[in-house]
Amino acid sequence: MSHQRHASSLAWWALVPLGLQCIALNGSAPLTWPTWALVLCALFKLRECRRPFDRRLVALLQLLSTGLLAAQLQGLWASVLQLVAVLLALAGLLGHELAGALTFRGFLQRSLQLLAAALPLALVLFLFVPRLPPLWTTELGPSRGAVSGLSPDLDPLSIAELTLVDGSAARVLVPEGQTLPMDAYWRVLVHEQFDGRRWQHRDPPVPRSGSGRPQVGEGASQWWVVEPSATRAVPWDGSALPTSPDQWITPEGELLVGAASRQRRSFRLQSNQRVAAWQQRPPVPSERQAPPESLPRLKALARQFRRLPTGRERLEAVENWFRRQSFRYSLQPGAVKDLDAFLFDQQEGFCGHYASALAALMRAADVPARVVSGYQGGHVVQPISGNRYLELRQSDAHAWVEVWLKGEGWQRVDPTLWATTTTMGLPAAAVAAESGQRQEGNVPWWRWLQWQWWGLDLAWTRWWLSFDQSSQQAWLQMLFGAQLRWLGATVVVSGFVAVAGGWLLLRMGIRPRSPLVQSLRLLTRLGAVPLQGESFLRLCRRAAQMHPDRATLLEAMADQQQLLAHAPLTSAQRRHHLRQWRKIRSRLRRRR
Amino acid sequence: MVHRTAKPFFKPSRPCAELTLGHRSLYIIPSRFGALWIAAAGVLLLVAIQTGSNSTLLLAFVMLGLMVLAMFLTHDTLQGLTLRCDQPAPTFAAEPADYPLQLESSSARPRCSLRVQGHGVVVCDRLTPGTTPLSLPWFAENRGWQLPPPVQIETIAPLGLFICWGRWQPEQPQLIWPRRQQGPVAELQPPRLRDGLEEWQDLRPVREGERPALVDWASAARGRPLQAKVFNDPEEPDVILAPASGVPLEAAREHLADRIWRLHHSGACYGLQIQSISLAPSKGVRHRDACLEALATV
Repeated sequence: MSHQRHASSLAWWALVPLGLQCIALNGSAPLTWPTWALVLCALFKLRECRRPFDRRLVALLQLLSTGLLAAQLQGLWASVLQLVAVLLALAGLLGHELAGALTFRGFLQRSLQLLAAALPLALVLFLFVPRLPPLWTTELGPSRGAVSGLSPDLDPLSIAELTLVDGSAARVLVPEGQTLPMDAYWRVLVHEQFDGRRWQHRDPPVPRSGSGRPQVGEGASQWWVVEPSATRAVPWDGSALPTSPDQWITPEGELLVGAASRQRRSFRLQSNQRVAAWQQRPPVPSERQAPPESLPRLKALARQFRRLPTGRERLEAVENWFRRQSFRYSLQPGAVKDLDAFLFDQQEGFCGHYASALAALMRAADVPARVVSGYQGGHVVQPISGNRYLELRQSDAHAWVEVWLKGEGWQRVDPTLWATTTTMGLPAAAVAAESGQRQEGNVPWWRWLQWQWWGLDLAWTRWWLSFDQSSQQAWLQMLFGAQLRWLGATVVVSGFVAVAGGWLLLRMGIRPRSPLVQSLRLLTRLGAVPLQGESFLRLCRRAAQMHPDRATLLEAMADQQQLLAHAPLTSAQRRHHLRQWRKIRSRLRRRR
Repeated sequence: MVHRTAKPFFKPSRPCAELTLGHRSLYIIPSRFGALWIAAAGVLLLVAIQTGSNSTLLLAFVMLGLMVLAMFLTHDTLQGLTLRCDQPAPTFAAEPADYPLQLESSSARPRCSLRVQGHGVVVCDRLTPGTTPLSLPWFAENRGWQLPPPVQIETIAPLGLFICWGRWQPEQPQLIWPRRQQGPVAELQPPRLRDGLEEWQDLRPVREGERPALVDWASAARGRPLQAKVFNDPEEPDVILAPASGVPLEAAREHLADRIWRLHHSGACYGLQIQSISLAPSKGVRHRDACLEALATV
């Protein structure tokens, strides 16, 4: 039957956007498997369904999997696909009950009307019902998986050749008028455990209820979109404040967000000019741990610096020593045996080598130190669609050192800048900031298009995804002020209004607009219900007998209806007769 | 639409010739699918809370909104629909009967289903504006003028999230003849009537070339269509059927009903005598119906 085919084909089409999104999921995220299972269930159920209930179940499975996909893929493209999937699933659901009544396009239109009608109530609930923080804290992000980006273990000595990956790591948008910092250091991971070769990152314990205190203050907002990575920590400037309970700053100065790390994360931070708490936290024993005895030359050098009284003087002495040497920046340093070999023999490496060597040297000189990895620089993109944003790429990844100086707290030191030359004779600082110096003129077209899309994506992030718990609190505060006790009543009243509005919208939308149907409705109100096999003309005559005072108008309506239905009319003539018919109809209505 | 879950736990209104479905005669509850829908929205809400996903949260709320709207839409599918009795044809007890109805609607409506309580479902895929005739299957166990059990109309359109139903007790009874069962029947010989043109037994449409003497001019004069008189064959033996002796009366009625039906189909001429009713031998549909009605009601 054709109507069953319509309903079935709509359900099949709904699987297309779901399948496309399933491809983009990362298999190691916990929500991924339930999502794949639901989509597969919908597929097999649709293939085998025999009863109407099975077909409705398919639509429900499709909506459920769309919801799970929406929790994992929050970008603009994914959101568009999710909207399409919801529309098609709803159209498929309608198809089972409105069998044969509508065409494929009609089902889609009705589905859109339904969505539009349900949206007012959904928006009321979305905007006014206070958000709950996560009911329990789970590590939704996977622990393993191949995702490019920063690694929890920093072992530069094992890397003979570093390949710059040009993939995007993160994008940040600031409000208009704010300057995008192009030379900033965006910290991600703190590596404080040193075994003589590798610097390891210690996973911080996950707080039971996040930071618990989202900040609602004066600072400007930063909207971040961070691509999937191997770590839960996300880039930040080290001073911004979290804005929702699922963001928290560890005592080491890492920013963690609740969302799984293997999916794109979007969040908002609030700029802050004050010194962050992590900068003043005294060093823990692991940050003071001296390098092992396997580095005798490094320890011997450090003994010279230990004679100096303060940490600041020791740091300056180390910097002077570095600058006196002929360190060269290179992405192909070759295999390095250990830090002694790097410091005293090869003296060639990239940021990881310098950061690792400096941190070890400072610890050996009895100055607490640790390596920090993150991003440095970035590239400002000006999309056609909106505000400029800063793009951080994987090739902007960088490592530097933080040393603890009494009275000053943790201070950032970038030893890569002390390298005098590169292997190609370029200044090292220029290489370190290599990523920030791309020329827009040489941008390939696909990259340009990608930037434009990311601009839209960021705008989407800014206006939609950033409406989190703290934004909602701010909005409710602004709306109600001290009268927050009226929130419940407001939700109830607006809910009723929204349902009434949606219902009216649906009634207006569903009401058929053909002149015949409208005329029949009018005649029914006049008490003339069509009998089996009765023509419209006869019906009008019967109505005229029932209402002799309106006989002329009813005759005229029958004439116009006949003309509109059967006469070969030009567009102008059709418009004219439609006007006539409307006039007659309104006069008949007035006389009721 | 064949298997509904709503149980008719609300009593129908008093018997009436027609019922316009409205707030006082329609009931609505979430369907099994509606319960699943709510559960799915709840799961999405939980996922949205745990992941902080706005899109998931909005989808959960949209599903809740659709659930609320579906309640009104499903109710609207039946509201304003008028159910009206039609003239039911007589039928035998314990045999499938059709109870005719008329559905009157001012607008097109999506799918709904009707049934006489405890009997088969009739599905109306789409109701067009105007009057739609419908026959509901049922069968009666007892003879006589019988009211069918309440008629139930229900729908889950357009989304299947709610079941809306109404119940109506039609007031038009249906004549149920006694059950047909083969058995002994007493056959009496009627007094012989004189032959002639006055003793016609039934009427039939006039055929071409019919003798004018056979035409029933008297009824034609009263404005009825021309009909020819049907006479008994003088050679054909007349018989008057009566309950066999020694057989309980109810069983005898069933035997008589079966015999009358078979005699009618064989074209025989028969009469009936039961209790105080006596019908002279004759043939034709009207005679058969009169005999069976007498059997059913006396």
